[in-house]
Amino acid sequence: MKDTEPSKNEREFLLEALREGARIDGRKFYDFRTLRISFGSDYGAVEVQLGNTRILAKVSCEVIRPYADKPTEGFLSFSTEISPMASTVFEAGRQTDEEVLVSRMIEKAMRRSRALDTEGLCIIAGEKVWSIRVDIHFLDHDGNLADAACIAAITALMHFRRPDVTVVGEEVTVHPIEQRNPVPLSIHHIPISVTFALFDKGERMVVDPTYLEEQIMEGDLALTLNVHKEICALSKAGGMPLELEKVVQCSKIAAVKVQEITEQIEAALAADKKKR
Amino acid sequence: MARLDTTRTSAHQLRPFSSSQNLLNRADGSAQFDFGGSSVLCSVVGPAEVKLRDEKLNKATLEVIVRPLVGLPGVKDKACERAIRETLEPIVISALHPRTLVQIVVQTMKDNGSILSTALNAAIMALLDAGIPLNSIIGSVTCIIDSKTNEILLDPTTEEIARAKSTHVFVFDNKSSIPSSTSASMDVDISNDDDGSPRPLFSESTGLFTEEEYLECVNISFKACQAVHGFIRTAVSKKIEKEHQQTQA
Repeated sequence: MKDTEPSKNEREFLLEALREGARIDGRKFYDFRTLRISFGSDYGAVEVQLGNTRILAKVSCEVIRPYADKPTEGFLSFSTEISPMASTVFEAGRQTDEEVLVSRMIEKAMRRSRALDTEGLCIIAGEKVWSIRVDIHFLDHDGNLADAACIAAITALMHFRRPDVTVVGEEVTVHPIEQRNPVPLSIHHIPISVTFALFDKGERMVVDPTYLEEQIMEGDLALTLNVHKEICALSKAGGMPLELEKVVQCSKIAAVKVQEITEQIEAALAADKKKR
Repeated sequence: MARLDTTRTSAHQLRPFSSSQNLLNRADGSAQFDFGGSSVLCSVVGPAEVKLRDEKLNKATLEVIVRPLVGLPGVKDKACERAIRETLEPIVISALHPRTLVQIVVQTMKDNGSILSTALNAAIMALLDAGIPLNSIIGSVTCIIDSKTNEILLDPTTEEIARAKSTHVFVFDNKSSIPSSTSASMDVDISNDDDGSPRPLFSESTGLFTEEEYLECVNISFKACQAVHGFIRTAVSKKIEKEHQQTQA
């Protein structure tokens, strides 16, 4: 189903409000929407709500044979098919441009930045390694799917516990979760994505755009950083050209936001750990 | 006889169910239905624009999409889609909206057995939330016959299904009986036999079982479905009352 364009009135109102320093949902320019993180009963099941955007991430694992050229490397894969539940724009079994961008973003932020220690997933070199799979389900779309998906994915990976294994010679025993305490994955750093929507030729930038802001924006800039202020991924995919100083300014704002979000994730994980 | 699911004492006990409607903002209607540790989220869009190739001249097209919790949709999910679609087709008064699409998306959130039943209950609640015209309300439960004790267990968990010799999923509509909204008891009373004969709307059985066993399953499930009907009724009326109060204020 085709999407309805915002009306001229909506567009003008939003832009005029931005010029006067206000966003239509009452946030400041560099504010994220309220972030809610809730965990399922199983390890690795996380539901993230960023305002009205809602995402469910589920981590699962299995033992498989590694590639011959990388005998000690485990696998990490992401499934980011956007279901029509999020919005009718998405059709089942057909990829949209937005979906490709989101999945590339996650891939770059998590896998290419080596957030997860894949060597630690090896059980017997060349024979058996763990394959970790993250299924990201988009339930409701109110803009900024990439940031919400990124938070959901990393939180789910941090929450996940894989079954313990013991190796005696060639014999591998996988202990069910009920019998032996499962082990957490080893995570090197926590990449968090921060997306900026650009308006008025880059004069105005807002963090965490809503769906309406995404429809009206002239371009976007997505930065993925960790708490150590290291940039893991930077994406400026088209739209209007942006001055270099703005990119530096954005990265400074993003660093502060990443700090805040990481603290929220860690607090949520600690609260959940207490409950178990 | 003790169950594998130690939280329940009786074979005919359902897990505590809960639901919430209108969770999603982009969909026209949505609902989440939980049977204990099983949870399904369902969204409904419609009546909406339909693809030319799916267009029906005299009625609305019903599309069901089932998405598994882990992995890509497979044969099992396609079978689920078909079961849900064919159960709901006679329930939705589709002739009122010809040449349109009613799209139902089903997403498993937590899986601990009886997923098809949970999905069907979530779907009907989402349809109610979306305001799609229906001619009755359906309720669904799953039951199994245990391979060791030959006992019929209602609303089984994954662990219990693994030990079943046969699995049965039933759907009943609320036409054959009018449930009382006060039936809050989780325990199904089989002795009470005066409210109509069971007429299954959908029945899917796998495994080996005898005719008597099947008929007993039908009877037990019918009683259990009335508890589900009662629950859906109360949930919807509570929601409407709340909305009414909000508009008054």
